[in-house]
Amino acid sequence: MATVVREQAGTSPGGEGSRRDDHGQPSFTFTVDGQTVQAFEGQTILSAAIAHGILDIPNLCNDEKLNPTSACRMCLVHVDGQERPLPSCNTPASPNMHVQTKSDELTHIRRTNLEMILSDHNAYCQPPCQMGCPTHIDIPGYLELIAKGQDREAARLVKEVLPFPYILGLVCPAPCQEVCRRALVDEEIAICRMHGFAAEQSIDDPPTPWPQEASTGKKVAVIGAGPAGLTAAYYLALKGHAVKVFDMMPQAGGMTRYGIPEYRLQKDMVDRELEGVWKLGVEFQGNVKLGKDFTVDDLFAAGYDAVFLGIGAWTSNPITFVDNSEADESTQGVINAISYLMDKTQGFSVPVDPGTEVVVLGGGFTAFDCTRTSLRLGAKVHTVYRRGRKEMGATPEEVEDGQAEGTDLQLFGAPVKLLQDEKGNLNGIEVIRMKLGEPDASGRRRPLPEPGTEFTLHCDTVIPAFGQAPDVSYFPTHVKGVKTSKWKTVVTDPWNFMTDRAGVFSGGDCQMGAKTVIECVAQGKLAARAMDAYLRDPSPEHMQQVSKLIEAEERKPDLISIVPYKPVEPKVKMPMLPYEQRVRNFKLIEMGYTPEQAKRESARCLQCACPAAGQCDLQMYSIEYGLTDNRFHDGEPNDFHDYEVDISHSFILRDPNKCINCTQCVRVCHDVIGPNCYGMFGQGFDTIVSTPFNVSLRETDCVSCGACVQVCPTGSLMMAERELVKYDFALDRCIFCGDCVEVCPHGALGETPNFELSFYNRIGQGVSLHMDDLARAPEYLVPQRVPRKPNDVPGGLTPIIRPLPARRIRE
Amino acid sequence: MPDATNGSRGLVPAVTSLAEYQRQQGFVALQRTRERGNGSDILRTIRQAGLRGHGGAGMPTADKLQAVVDAVATRGGPPFLVVNAYDADPQSLIAETILSRQPFLALEGLALAALAVGAREAYLYVRSTNQAGYTAVHSALQQMHDGNLLNGLAVSIVGVDVGFMGGEESTMLEVIKGRRAMAVQRPPFPAQAGLGEIPTAVLNLETATQLVAIMLDVQSYKRNGNASPGTKLVTVYGDSEQGTLVEVPFGTTIAAICQQAGVSTQGARAIVVGGPEGGVLPPDRWNTPFDFETLKAVGTIVGSGTITVLPAKTCFVAWAKSRMAYLARESCGKCVPCRAGTKRMEGVLEGVMSDIGVAKDLEVLTEFSTYIPNGSLCGFGWNATHAIETAMRYFGDDFQRHLAGECPTGTCLPVRSHRFATKKVL
Repeated sequence: MATVVREQAGTSPGGEGSRRDDHGQPSFTFTVDGQTVQAFEGQTILSAAIAHGILDIPNLCNDEKLNPTSACRMCLVHVDGQERPLPSCNTPASPNMHVQTKSDELTHIRRTNLEMILSDHNAYCQPPCQMGCPTHIDIPGYLELIAKGQDREAARLVKEVLPFPYILGLVCPAPCQEVCRRALVDEEIAICRMHGFAAEQSIDDPPTPWPQEASTGKKVAVIGAGPAGLTAAYYLALKGHAVKVFDMMPQAGGMTRYGIPEYRLQKDMVDRELEGVWKLGVEFQGNVKLGKDFTVDDLFAAGYDAVFLGIGAWTSNPITFVDNSEADESTQGVINAISYLMDKTQGFSVPVDPGTEVVVLGGGFTAFDCTRTSLRLGAKVHTVYRRGRKEMGATPEEVEDGQAEGTDLQLFGAPVKLLQDEKGNLNGIEVIRMKLGEPDASGRRRPLPEPGTEFTLHCDTVIPAFGQAPDVSYFPTHVKGVKTSKWKTVVTDPWNFMTDRAGVFSGGDCQMGAKTVIECVAQGKLAARAMDAYLRDPSPEHMQQVSKLIEAEERKPDLISIVPYKPVEPKVKMPMLPYEQRVRNFKLIEMGYTPEQAKRESARCLQCACPAAGQCDLQMYSIEYGLTDNRFHDGEPNDFHDYEVDISHSFILRDPNKCINCTQCVRVCHDVIGPNCYGMFGQGFDTIVSTPFNVSLRETDCVSCGACVQVCPTGSLMMAERELVKYDFALDRCIFCGDCVEVCPHGALGETPNFELSFYNRIGQGVSLHMDDLARAPEYLVPQRVPRKPNDVPGGLTPIIRPLPARRIRE
Repeated sequence: MPDATNGSRGLVPAVTSLAEYQRQQGFVALQRTRERGNGSDILRTIRQAGLRGHGGAGMPTADKLQAVVDAVATRGGPPFLVVNAYDADPQSLIAETILSRQPFLALEGLALAALAVGAREAYLYVRSTNQAGYTAVHSALQQMHDGNLLNGLAVSIVGVDVGFMGGEESTMLEVIKGRRAMAVQRPPFPAQAGLGEIPTAVLNLETATQLVAIMLDVQSYKRNGNASPGTKLVTVYGDSEQGTLVEVPFGTTIAAICQQAGVSTQGARAIVVGGPEGGVLPPDRWNTPFDFETLKAVGTIVGSGTITVLPAKTCFVAWAKSRMAYLARESCGKCVPCRAGTKRMEGVLEGVMSDIGVAKDLEVLTEFSTYIPNGSLCGFGWNATHAIETAMRYFGDDFQRHLAGECPTGTCLPVRSHRFATKKVL
């Protein structure tokens, strides 16, 4: 029998270690991790430890006001002389006890407990897709809306962070889908194509994320009408600034218009989506080039308060041969990839036709755009890349499509030299096989040539697609005060995107080197925020604050591995143009979802978002104990639970999928509040906290006090988001019985000595409503903060106690 | 009816009438103790006899009752007495047989225990599936009441069926309190805070019946060598679905018990000792004496006192899996390691059994066979892994054969098509 007994502790007040504490209570001392701790009779180890500032004993089922239950087994500690660890929440301290709160064994038990809980926790905290997306779209949110058929609202939600959901829906490489948790069950959701679908439904009458603010009188110049520049322009215009966009090309869109071939993105659709920007009053001037037609100084002189540089990366890198020599388009037969795509999208003639044989060098998006454009022009194409399929920058789908459309893919091949015929015309390229060497400083494995494996590919045209760089050659003269890096990119603060010159901001490809469209949009969005802040207060201190704020917001939260459980539901594949119909034309290959398909696909979302994220104890401890992996993925259906969510109650939402059986709600409802609405249900592994006989919470004696929500350590019990309902008050039928005052569970209606003068508690104390005011009460149910000062009472009421003359009621 | 004629001295023949019981020295111990002794005399006699709890844990009974007496001194009383006649292990015939064949012996033992601690109210906790025992003891209680033999002791018979968990001490008290059958963390122990937070003595039925013999003649209460004193009822199962109850002195070897029960061990692959939570012993351990410490040393427990002889065709992966499946279903679901841990072990064992296991699965099983006992709240979890531990210790080859893709006895069919996989956060 254990020596640790709640009732025996300290029964001999004169005994060793016994004295009185600061409050005069008889107390004694014991040690926790060597630290001497004072406790009173019957106090638990955990309670005494917390009182002495020892806060690192984890616990998920303990609450000060409740009887301990010791169900979660997180607070286990070693007590000297005990065979097994004991739960500190339940074990009373006794004089001269020695407690150890940390050991490898305890860490292992606690971590495994969390792993066990997470292996049957059919929910998730923060959607990885939202973290994976550079713009952090509320993906579960818009997918839920599409599943409900609210496509316009879905488009609006996306536009809060991404102004061009249709364009991105077609061209985004979808980093969100790479991390989709649905992939743990079957296949990832077509997240990206879904916002394209939503935007397409309202493309000619697009919603704005929020109403445009009143004019601020500030003027902003945006240079470069690409994804970054137009995103910045869009959000700045919404903030009420006057924005003008300048571009060297005749039309807006940047690389999305001039770099992406028609079969991936139709230009008339680009025009229709960009209309949303012009509708906000943004002006556009094409055919003017920074560095040629004007300088940044000119813009400030013309009265602009801030400038955004989004000039993109439009210079193609030359061919780099294995011996590090280079060749560019000045060599006969070599074409600049960007000019090639640009000419093609504008309908100009290009030097590729059914007779040509093309070698495209590279493995990124541009390489495949060139490959597939050339294929559509009828040419014979070889695509040569020096690494393997895994290392390619283009998506696997793009590579597969390229091959299916007919390119000859040569992996692990690097150009050695160009071959000319006797006339000096290009007639081939010598390629050498490569193998991957040791990883370099960047972690990428550097390809090394294998001597003796050279071979020749016959061709008359070579298109190098080795990436692009911004053209910053004119910066010293035309963009004074802005630094550039050795990679020819614009140097800015990493978070507020301001260059060394105050008021000049930069983002997109020209700031980070050629990247994806979505990353450019993300930068444009953040830069717009910083610019808006700058236009309000341009002081360096303020800009530093903005930088810190954005950095904190962009920090990636810790994610934990939770085993999802949902029945397998096959992915709704995007209907694609059949390969045989892609010959010699530039028809859009992604044909788009029907509304039914979109609904079905959106409904596959696991809704990996929890309103309790950040306040969840389970999440906190799981991060602390490093639960980044779980050994119990991929089980059979009977290994997991998928409970129905109880949303029948008006105030309290119950999601048993997130329940960890801590029984705090059971105890608080039974011991503290009284109605006893919760209990355990089921047997063995299927045990779950539920209501008596598993009825809906509405059928219980619940008084809607919300105490269960307060104690819930996870998001299993949440207060319902109220949809405010307007109640009519028929004054002509009211008999002033006061019953409404009596039964209101939240005391929204109060009682004065003359109960007819119900005062409206949510307005604040001391405010009394006239009976007419009570009839108008719904007007005060606006989602505003409780006013601190009487003057803040909404609705124009004089916030003084206005006793109603008694006789008026009797009249 | 169980065959209780085979060596079960105390139970032969059945005595179900008061007159008959009194003829056989019935209530002599009780009367004599009431006349002569007080509580501390009884405790001294029990201590002298060295009686240990027959419920499975083997706690010295005198210490257990003394703790109640001590708690009453500080917290006040009178204490309650609860006698556990539940037979949690559905295969066990112990309580069923005692209650149906010797109801007066059971009640005399209960009355003696009540005297020892000064309880005025006692609960006899019976499994409601045990109809014969319930009827017999109910009738016996009525006769004792009519014969004025209870001397003011109020005895309530509580009949419930709440599964295997119902036999656990704290769960039993919760059920008597009218709560859900779930274990409660100790300390405080029932001896300090039991029913109504009042000191409560908890005894197993078989322990209580031993008190009669001790109080009748403590000198003849024998010790078999170094083994624990007294005798133990053991239910033995062989090929037949029908078990045999035998009474043996502590320290009798497993093989001898089987022999006494007439259950052949010829050609058997192993013997399970201890019921649903017991471990399995290979032939070279069959000479282990049946006693608390000796069984613990070989990896198993006295437990429910059930011994099962397993046939040659037993695959120990399948056997361990069926044990874990039973426990995952019977767990009260309160604490995490027991609720989820047993289920996950079952899943891993199913994977191995379905020939899709990997070597790492055995590491998980080994890890969990210490995690569950150390993390769990009550005796259910502490003892939940004896089966898997001993199966891996003595029949590790079965696991290796399954990992290699075949069942050692050719009896297993796949039950699972996905094995558990480790996945990192995305």
